Amino acid sequence: MKKANFYSGLLALLLGVLLLSGCETEHRFIKKVSFKGGNQIVVVFAGPVDQRWAENRDNYAVYEKPDPDILLSITEVQLSQDRRTVTLTFEDELNQDQPHIVSMRQIMSEGRSLGTAIVTAKKLYFGHLFSILIGAMIIHNFVFTKYLGLCVFFGTSQKKSTAVGMGITFTIVMVASAMMSWFLYQFVLKPFRLDFLQIIVFIGLVSLSVQAVDTILRKINPVLFKAFGVYLVLVIANCIILAVPLILADNEYNAMESLMLAVGAGTGFLIALFLMSSVREKLEIANVPPTYRGLPIAFVVAGLFALAFMGFSGMSIF
Amino acid sequence: MDPMLIKLAFGGLAVLGCIGLIFGIGLGLAAHKFAVEINPKIEEVKEVLAGAQ
Repeated sequence: MKKANFYSGLLALLLGVLLLSGCETEHRFIKKVSFKGGNQIVVVFAGPVDQRWAENRDNYAVYEKPDPDILLSITEVQLSQDRRTVTLTFEDELNQDQPHIVSMRQIMSEGRSLGTAIVTAKKLYFGHLFSILIGAMIIHNFVFTKYLGLCVFFGTSQKKSTAVGMGITFTIVMVASAMMSWFLYQFVLKPFRLDFLQIIVFIGLVSLSVQAVDTILRKINPVLFKAFGVYLVLVIANCIILAVPLILADNEYNAMESLMLAVGAGTGFLIALFLMSSVREKLEIANVPPTYRGLPIAFVVAGLFALAFMGFSGMSIF
Repeated sequence: MDPMLIKLAFGGLAVLGCIGLIFGIGLGLAAHKFAVEINPKIEEVKEVLAGAQ
């Protein structure tokens, strides 16, 4: 009992640290950066800034995170009465689905320079996380819109029970390996400029986490281990589990975003497996032409599901 | 060859080697800690059986 308390405390601490690390802004003098209306960004400073610095448009450079070479043109800079809030107005509507980088040159506050600040304006942080989760789960479902992980998908979707077992195992392994690969990518591969080796490292990590789950589960919960059976090893052969670390390395996600992407991809795969296995159980008793029995009709069903999931495409949350 | 590239290659070897070593030790310890006793008779019986399947 005491041990369980200890572990849950540790988990809560870890989650707290992750949340805090996601919410901080990147410069000590800047309290908040946020979107306002359709074409404005508001920057809140911790202290008053100099009027001459603040109203010079050349001190600001704003761009969308994926395209650093396209600077957005600022039409107006407004400083509030207490000189702590700057409102930047842009010529065009801002695409608020993308995080925007606001770079401010040599911030002057009461005659002192506070250095250059590069901060990110994002939509509501939890909304952003939620949209990553739902996006990976349904809108960009890895099986039905990206056609990844198909061999495991067709191999284990014959029965509902095995499908659900596979989905749950997959989600657990996915979260473990995605978090490890995020850590390695951010703190080992990038500082040593070895990011071209990411595929090799990620493959190793996936097999490591599968092996670790295998060893630990065998001892801790033999019943569950028996139920998972061969699927645990099959997870290694799944390409979704390799796609997720590559996507999060590509998009430079932080820890919370990576966690959300991994959980979303795992549950998305679980949903896909569950839907498919329900249909295939019904197909067993249906009158299918002999040439189509088995795998061919399963491919047809998967195609129909993919069409249905196309209905979600282009949706955005928040 | 560019010395930068050689440095990068050896650095990569060292880093990946370290990662592999750490994970190998970790897995080894885990296998030791979570070892499951398997009845040796299972193997012996399997040896004796025909084993066509």
